[in-house]
Amino acid sequence: MASTGYHKIILTIGICFLVHAAVSAAQRKSSGQDLHEIPSLIFQGIVSLIVCMYAIIYIAGDLKEIRATEELENKSWETLRNIPSFYMFNHRGRSLSPAYDPTSINKALNEE
Amino acid sequence: MELTKQSSWNKARDILKDWRDNNQRRSVEVIEIWENSLASKIHKLGDDRFVVLEQVSVAALDCNRLDVAASCIHSLIKEFPNSLRVRTLLVMKLEAQQRYEEALEHLETIIKIDETNTAARKRKICILKAKNKIPEAIKELTEYLKKFMTDQETWQELCDLYLSEGDYAKAVFCMEELFLHHPHNHLLHQRYADILYTQGGLENIELAISHYLMAINLNEKNIRALYGLALSCHQVLTSAKCSAAKKKEISKQMMWVSKHLARQYEEQQGNTETLTELMSALQVS
Repeated sequence: MASTGYHKIILTIGICFLVHAAVSAAQRKSSGQDLHEIPSLIFQGIVSLIVCMYAIIYIAGDLKEIRATEELENKSWETLRNIPSFYMFNHRGRSLSPAYDPTSINKALNEE
Repeated sequence: MELTKQSSWNKARDILKDWRDNNQRRSVEVIEIWENSLASKIHKLGDDRFVVLEQVSVAALDCNRLDVAASCIHSLIKEFPNSLRVRTLLVMKLEAQQRYEEALEHLETIIKIDETNTAARKRKICILKAKNKIPEAIKELTEYLKKFMTDQETWQELCDLYLSEGDYAKAVFCMEELFLHHPHNHLLHQRYADILYTQGGLENIELAISHYLMAINLNEKNIRALYGLALSCHQVLTSAKCSAAKKKEISKQMMWVSKHLARQYEEQQGNTETLTELMSALQVS
């Protein structure tokens, strides 16, 4: 469903007819006529609307498939397995910190 | 990191939000971003600043940067003096300092005030884990799961603990529980199959094959599942118990997997040289 110049022309024609129908309806109304007495005007309105819809569907581009797993596609096990509420802090990364005190482990061991 | 130094505060905020939402640990980077661009601009973040402060303080505890953690927690206490969530952060700080007894006392009072506070109960389990008392932690976790059966994270944690104890049958049960929550998550199927494959035995490996296939069906880019499938097929083919008809079917699957893997490598790298190398390393031909 590629948008083509053909569909753009149809859309322009459709909108012209729709605007024409609206303008003439407003004119008739201001001159005091009842709109239900003019079936051609109603017909023109509906047909031009359908023409516009047809053209817009083609111009709007391809529809995308909705998949249940779309959002999971780019996730990896590494982020899924990481659970913030179960973080533990006594890992080896601790000793890389500038504030690390190597004697703290001995103290902790002695206490136990 | 050049990037973190130059980025403005709103870029830094977006990065932190992304990591928070995607459960990325990256504690060292969080601290770097905090010190380089966010610490002085924290008032600009609006209501987001409290979540950021929490994230930074956990990251700081993770890197043993107690100074950073203390200042973050302090500003949170000023804002919410009675919050149990902030109190849990204080407990985490005690844990990072290895003052477990005090931490436990605090947790008991939190649970007394609010019986449904799951974060405090989880911290209690973490203290057991930190003391390397895995069997006790498992016992505590099962008690917890009797009360809060729908907590997926905890099922996952229990699964990991069982794996570290080598109790594969029970780990498999935990994964099955997770399936009930997310039947369409390809990573869970892949993980489940990984555990079954590790457990071994013809029946388990056949079940693993079907779950690897399910994972690939849900996401065909899951390379780990593709390799897992290749390995399990190889296992079945070399096993003596398998019937000839079954072997024929499995070898068909094997062909399909290697073709599929080759295609994925083509798409990503444009050649399959590394793939042939890796396959020979796995002794799967």
